[in-house]
Amino acid sequence: MSTTDPKLLRKALLREKSARKQAEKILEDKSRELYSLTQELQVVNEKLKAGLTETTSELKGLFENLVDAYVLMDVSGNIIKMNDAATELFGYNLKENKINVTELIHKDDFQYAMTSFQELIRKGSFSDYQARVYTKNKGVRTVHINASLILDKKNNPIAAQGIVRDITKKLELESDRKFLIKSLEKNNIELKNFAHIVSHDLKSPLRSINALVNWLREDYASVYDEAAEQTFDMLIKKVDQMDRLITGILKYSSIDKATYPKEHIDLNVVVNDIIDIIFIPNHVSVAIEGLLPVVKGDKFRLQQLFQNIMSNAVNYIEKEVGIVTVSVRELPEFWEFAITDNGKGISKKYQKKIFEIFQTLEDNERSTGIGLSIVKKVIDYYEGTIWIESEIGIGSTFYFTLKKDLK
Amino acid sequence: MKGIVFTEFLELVEDKFGLEVVDKIIEQSDLSTGGAYTAVGTYEFAEMLSLLKHLSEHTQISIDDLLLVYAEHFFGVLVSSYPGLIDKYEDPIELLSSIEDHIHVEVRKIYPDAELPTFQQIEKTPTSLVLVYKSSRAMYNFGLGLMNKTFEHYNTKATILLEKIKPDGTEVKFSITID
Repeated sequence: MSTTDPKLLRKALLREKSARKQAEKILEDKSRELYSLTQELQVVNEKLKAGLTETTSELKGLFENLVDAYVLMDVSGNIIKMNDAATELFGYNLKENKINVTELIHKDDFQYAMTSFQELIRKGSFSDYQARVYTKNKGVRTVHINASLILDKKNNPIAAQGIVRDITKKLELESDRKFLIKSLEKNNIELKNFAHIVSHDLKSPLRSINALVNWLREDYASVYDEAAEQTFDMLIKKVDQMDRLITGILKYSSIDKATYPKEHIDLNVVVNDIIDIIFIPNHVSVAIEGLLPVVKGDKFRLQQLFQNIMSNAVNYIEKEVGIVTVSVRELPEFWEFAITDNGKGISKKYQKKIFEIFQTLEDNERSTGIGLSIVKKVIDYYEGTIWIESEIGIGSTFYFTLKKDLK
Repeated sequence: MKGIVFTEFLELVEDKFGLEVVDKIIEQSDLSTGGAYTAVGTYEFAEMLSLLKHLSEHTQISIDDLLLVYAEHFFGVLVSSYPGLIDKYEDPIELLSSIEDHIHVEVRKIYPDAELPTFQQIEKTPTSLVLVYKSSRAMYNFGLGLMNKTFEHYNTKATILLEKIKPDGTEVKFSITID
């Protein structure tokens, strides 16, 4: 509908003009808003780009430097990418051959591989998959694989990646080691039984010899002269020495055989008992310096340990006044004991040797050469160490440590 | 309220009743912009209410009826401005039941400050729909006009029953049945 009233038309025109200005202002504001938004977006975009480059280069480094083989494949199993380690392991070059992972899997592991692949598709990853694969140059290898799916934005799988580790060597070593341990265990048991049986079997004929010699001596006493008597003495002493030797072997072989309950043992009591039990020549005195600790362990072993070292100490003093002291020092994880004598000393070259079984420094009837091997064995049991400081003519100190917190 | 509602309204008034009536209702109403509106602007709803009131006084047509006619005109504006929005739906029931969950969601993307009525769906079958309109504007008849044109657009006939849940028309039940 039109109107001819110019006044109305002018008013309508003014309204239109005002509306246009409003619209222009709104659009101007919007445009400014858009401009600043674009600026912001550009900054964000730069940051994103920088971040992406960084990530890409990190990933590239990871891909190239990975010690394990890395394989990227599509969902049908066609290999898309391999790192150097993978090329080295499988022996195939992707540039020359097209490879599908199914061709690499050992025929006996194929079914298992398919099951694992289904699991990968379903769960998105699998770990600790282990199977045999064919390689070009290295034959059949056993590998360990951790794999995961790569998904697109809509969570559809587009590829799968796997870290492949050749564990053939490791498995071989493991099986070798297991075999070795098994045969060692067997040998050990056999050896222990052997020592035990032999010493028992040796003891009874020895007792018979002892009895027979004594009968012979008594029954024909009238016929023997002085020299024969001396021979009999020596003979019986030798038999005694052999008996001690056998007892020593028995003790030695039984150290790690029997398990004794672990208790809190007051070493002051143990050492004082030993002083009472062992033979101490009149010119020798034994003293405990300070207070010995209470340790966790079994009394039998600890007594063997202290008794053997203390007996040695008191036995070999030729000085007019012999002094043997037992002392202790506390270390963070260990007790360090010292048993000192002013005996004749042990020369350097024997200091290691004395801990070996059947080693004696002199041809002494009382010495079997087993005592210190028992000491060594007990200390090993307590995860400790033993060493000697000694000077000829002045004396020796036997140091040894015992672990406080024994598992 | 979006400027396009004002500009289309004044154009329709000019078309039907002439520039004199446009000028008159603008003069009678107390308007912040002196009656100058642009489609891209946003204006107080009170101004639309004032324009409607004065047009109703001048023409002796009830505000409800004016809104109905205006809505029918406005549907045409929507079809030509947003053809994609309407074509998306295969039938009118589908379109109407998507107002809340789809169409208004899209509207908010373009005009975040838009104050939209809600259409709560109570019941839906292939041939019927029950919606509850809620808006402080009480422009349910505007809704009715749009609905009428929607059925017309799909060449369908339907009976639409209005039932005021609140007497002031801020909550109205639409029961729609295809004939």
